[in-house]
Amino acid sequence: MDKTRRNLLKGGLAAGGLGVFAAGYAGPAVNAVRGLVRGTAGVPTQDRIAGNALPPECRIDPETGAVTMAEGQVVSLTQCFGCWTLCGVRARVDTTGNRILRIAGNPYNPLSHERPEDYTTPVREAFARLGGESGLDGRSTACARGAAMLEQLTSPYRVTQPLKRVGPRGGGRWQTISFEQLVEEVVEGGDLFGEGHVDGLRAVRDLDTPVDPESPEYGPRANQLLFTTGANEGRDALVRRFTFNAFGSRNYGHHGAYCGFAFRAGSGAWLNDMRKYAHVKPDWEHVRFALFMGTAPAQSGKPFKRQGRQLASARAEGRLEYVVVSPALPNSSSLASQPGNTWLPIRPGGDTALAMAMIRWIIAHERYDARHLAQPGPAAMAAAGEPSWGNATHLVVSEPGHPLEGRLLRGSDLGWPADGDDEVFVVADASDGHWRAHTAAAPARLFVDTTVTVDGSPVRVKSALQRLREEAERFTLAEYSAECGVPVAAIEALARTFTSYGKQAVVDAHGGLMSGNGFYSAFAVMMLNALVGNLNARGGTALAGGHYPEFGRGPRYDLKTFPGMVKPKGVFLSRSRFPYEKTSEYRRKVEAGESPYPARAPWYPFSPPILTEHLASALAGYPYPAKVWINHLANPLYGQAGLRSAVAERLKDPQRLPLMVGVDAFVNETNAFADYIVPDTITYESWGFTAPWSGVRRKTSTARWPVVEPRTARTAEGEPVALESFLVAAARRLGLPGFGDGAIPDADGGLHGFHRAADFYLRAVANVAHVGEPVPEADDDDLAVTGVTRLEPDLTGILTAGEWRRAAYVLARGGRFGAEPEGDALPRWERGQCLWNETVAAKRHAVTGERFSGCPTWYPARLADGSDAREAFPAQSWPFRLTAYKSNLQSSSSIGSPRLRQVHPENPVGINRRDAERLGIANGEAVMLVTPGGRVSGVALLRDGVMPGVLAVEHGYGHRELGARAHVVDGRETPHDPALGAGVNLNDLGIVDPTREAPNGWVDWACGSAVRQALPARLERAT
Amino acid sequence: MDPSRREFLRRAGVLTAGAATIPLSEARAAINEQPPRRGGDPERRYAMLIDLRRCIGCQACTVSCSLENRPPIGQFRTIVHQYEVAESDGDGVASFMLPRLCNHCDEPPCVPVCPVQATFQRRDGIVVVDNERCVGCGYCVQACPYDARFINHETRTADKCTFCVHRLEAGLLPACVESCVGGARVIGDLRDPDSTISRMLREHEDDIRVLKPEMGTRPHVFYLGMNEAFVERVDGQPGLWFQPEHAAEEATA
Repeated sequence: MDKTRRNLLKGGLAAGGLGVFAAGYAGPAVNAVRGLVRGTAGVPTQDRIAGNALPPECRIDPETGAVTMAEGQVVSLTQCFGCWTLCGVRARVDTTGNRILRIAGNPYNPLSHERPEDYTTPVREAFARLGGESGLDGRSTACARGAAMLEQLTSPYRVTQPLKRVGPRGGGRWQTISFEQLVEEVVEGGDLFGEGHVDGLRAVRDLDTPVDPESPEYGPRANQLLFTTGANEGRDALVRRFTFNAFGSRNYGHHGAYCGFAFRAGSGAWLNDMRKYAHVKPDWEHVRFALFMGTAPAQSGKPFKRQGRQLASARAEGRLEYVVVSPALPNSSSLASQPGNTWLPIRPGGDTALAMAMIRWIIAHERYDARHLAQPGPAAMAAAGEPSWGNATHLVVSEPGHPLEGRLLRGSDLGWPADGDDEVFVVADASDGHWRAHTAAAPARLFVDTTVTVDGSPVRVKSALQRLREEAERFTLAEYSAECGVPVAAIEALARTFTSYGKQAVVDAHGGLMSGNGFYSAFAVMMLNALVGNLNARGGTALAGGHYPEFGRGPRYDLKTFPGMVKPKGVFLSRSRFPYEKTSEYRRKVEAGESPYPARAPWYPFSPPILTEHLASALAGYPYPAKVWINHLANPLYGQAGLRSAVAERLKDPQRLPLMVGVDAFVNETNAFADYIVPDTITYESWGFTAPWSGVRRKTSTARWPVVEPRTARTAEGEPVALESFLVAAARRLGLPGFGDGAIPDADGGLHGFHRAADFYLRAVANVAHVGEPVPEADDDDLAVTGVTRLEPDLTGILTAGEWRRAAYVLARGGRFGAEPEGDALPRWERGQCLWNETVAAKRHAVTGERFSGCPTWYPARLADGSDAREAFPAQSWPFRLTAYKSNLQSSSSIGSPRLRQVHPENPVGINRRDAERLGIANGEAVMLVTPGGRVSGVALLRDGVMPGVLAVEHGYGHRELGARAHVVDGRETPHDPALGAGVNLNDLGIVDPTREAPNGWVDWACGSAVRQALPARLERAT
Repeated sequence: MDPSRREFLRRAGVLTAGAATIPLSEARAAINEQPPRRGGDPERRYAMLIDLRRCIGCQACTVSCSLENRPPIGQFRTIVHQYEVAESDGDGVASFMLPRLCNHCDEPPCVPVCPVQATFQRRDGIVVVDNERCVGCGYCVQACPYDARFINHETRTADKCTFCVHRLEAGLLPACVESCVGGARVIGDLRDPDSTISRMLREHEDDIRVLKPEMGTRPHVFYLGMNEAFVERVDGQPGLWFQPEHAAEEATA
């Protein structure tokens, strides 16, 4: 395309822009006169030329490349927690001021560097390559948020003393208490608030008495401890150790279900992994066409920076064409790189329709990879030279009402003799149509629709691909088009393009699919990958390389098992991974001759524990009530659409949930309801290990260690008050296994005490250092330039003489990172892909009693009773649909950083220019955004990059807490700034599902993920 | 008080707190009479190339610069403007990112207008402000056609990008360059024909653009992947980045 032919949009008023770069002329004349009189214009700067810039961390000699570190600075390689990508960063630490001056990327860490430094390079040498010409290729970066998160350390809104509420929950009044008082009260309980007796942890930890004698499957009373955390930000192993194996509760939850779980569930359905919900990312080095649906690299996504860089490189080098499908134009789009990238607008929630339409077109035009799909098992895959296999040719029992309905046909169903322990699936041979085992090294027929005899009766069976075709053919392209807002011609063109690159085409997705049909949406989108056969293929979808086992039964220490460890039992509070049909409730209803359906609330037979249900369930007492909630970092009342409306009032009632403990460095929207706050360390003050979620093919364990001294209060024993000291102290007081003396076994049969955080984490570091071929020993220079020297007393005191320098090697490099794998060493997904997932198909919806479809199919957004949400919220009343998108700047907890906030202080509501003109709404005008779940005021931003009929809201704004409002501690108002509350929190507009007995935010009817996409809405002018 | 300072004070004597301007025409007369460059290594000429195809609008440069150089909150030495723009041959809308900073021009209009020679160009091409001389009159701010300067409201002196000269002199990269996630920003020495920037400028010679070339300032921040039509000003929907109170300024910008 001729770049000079572009017709630029006439920008009307904009919410900001060029003006700010020019702003700054205000009042110079006054200053000038003052300056002339005083001889300087104002406040003297540190340097006449560099002004108040930071002193450089080192000097690199241009001739020799020798690095001389600056006096009083070290550069520590550790972990970021600005978002859930959890990159490795380098922190310039002012050792005298105990503060971090600036943050950039760890040169060894693949999340911060496209082609990271070789792991064995001495640290000083790696630093030398960050400067000068070599630094351009060698740059390892932090994103805007990652750079700014250091401001959290010294934030005025930080909590550093243990707090106990004064007055009612959520009232914002607190008193400071000692750590020891905190632990005593939380463990022992008592009349803690003058409101009557409260059970402490000791009373709740009952491993013998059933929580509900009528439903013994629910497990013991110890399950009445609910422990939630953000997710694994490096310390999850400790939380699980405490909750599951020391305390013995089944109930642990993290934010995944209101983050991107619909995608993970759909991906797991495709990859036949309904336990860990594996997912893949494009092979960025070799992919030639990428379709992004419900994700937008460079805007967001995990890993954020790495994918942003890979996208930038691929398009600058002309290797990649891509289409990003989204209701609002994201940063993935790049005019400068056009042609080769396109934004395709779609109605929020329209992804299922688009994917099913593409599937229909691809099958009808035989544009699928027939050779790939025809391979029914590993042997056939190998014989055909395919990179993966799947069950397209396997036969699905399709006889309505048959006991095996929805299951894949086994050889045993046809009376075949058993072949060892493995079950074989039945396929029709491609050449002669005879039944064969899927294990044969031969292709099978793609489309089968016939009858077989099972136990003497005829049973209709269809191949999985046949079932997929039938589901796709339920609607015409025109009908799908009407649903998703993508023109038929565009659907056809997209399907044709997607199938024009062989296996070097990929569809990638993530949290943008969190709609009222999220699970099937993700399953449908992932099915496009199956149809082009790109799994494990060069330029196709790629698996992550995993991490070093940090907290497992490691080569030096066993951090997974310990003497006296408890195996938790029972049904999760969230009613997940357990079929309703196995409950006592179901049995009682059947025995009473009643219909077992509906259950009192949804069950999620193929979901993991989901925080989207934990809390509402605990408050409703179904399946059982919780007595203690410890919430570390998680913020569901901010992050889960509709939850605040559903439960905030219930949460204020101690009768419903008697004890709540928040563990965090800030009071977030959830912990504002806590009875106690345990002040936690900030990332840079604590230990941990994290690994990439996906998108990194080399083995990667990112280490986190205290690069500065924690600023929290100290315990009587001198430890910083934090998550770790709280759990250790509580466990020791309770006498729980796994903590205190003799809690950590070593590889030689010895036992070590667990009294301080370092006792646990340094042994994890030793494990990582010794996995496989142990890492080399760090030399003194590695330790000196990175500041690991400061840890020497603990390194030598806790680890053995043979271990500590290898552990220090890992810490000095901010983790352990393997070599980039090639060829056979590339990580592969070995399991078969599911065009039909019988794990899903075997289950029934606990409210409607209907079977789940085993393959993708179109459903409307549905409420918990299975009804079409459009009936409850008709378009006449709610003409808009909301789309939510992740900010590239703010995460849910980053708003307190002034240097970050200044770039984009609030999130206007994006509305298409034509819609706004029709409604008479001007750019920058205050508006009221209304859904069936709430109303919030915002500012309209007229955009051409928002589809008509859509309102677009960026996440990360509209805070009520984190410093946005004042609390009162010991009678004094805390520092606060209303600017932190600017903008709109889309989740405050989330809908409380009107079809449920006990209130909860609207969640996906199939997998329980939060519904935040495609919320019905309308826009009103603010009055 | 040195003579230039005295001369400026004489002319500025008409100023009151309420009359904030001196006719810029007086200052403009001197634009093309550049005073001699001083300081810096005459064997080098620093410049920046920004490969817009690689810019993902992440603002890592903006925030890293802010943390490194510590201007007041809300004042920026560099920032990435983001626009939504349309194409003529369809309904398509695309994102356009434009990182902005001081252009370290070869004919910097900001230098001759400085009444006290506080702002000057080094022999390595970097335009800097001597904070100990600057009187904060704002002439240079007005003279810059790129809006790259501001009066720092903490130091009350003129402020702008220095290419992180304190880091370059230590052998390190500027904060914006070392934090550039997409790898768009390239700094280097134009006098070194083997430098990455020299190579890229040769390789992409026909596709390199500068902002407002007709001003004759000879900017030394080069853009690769820049639409010709945007060299003067971007007439797209500026974007998502600032508070509505700036909307009025924007409309007239």
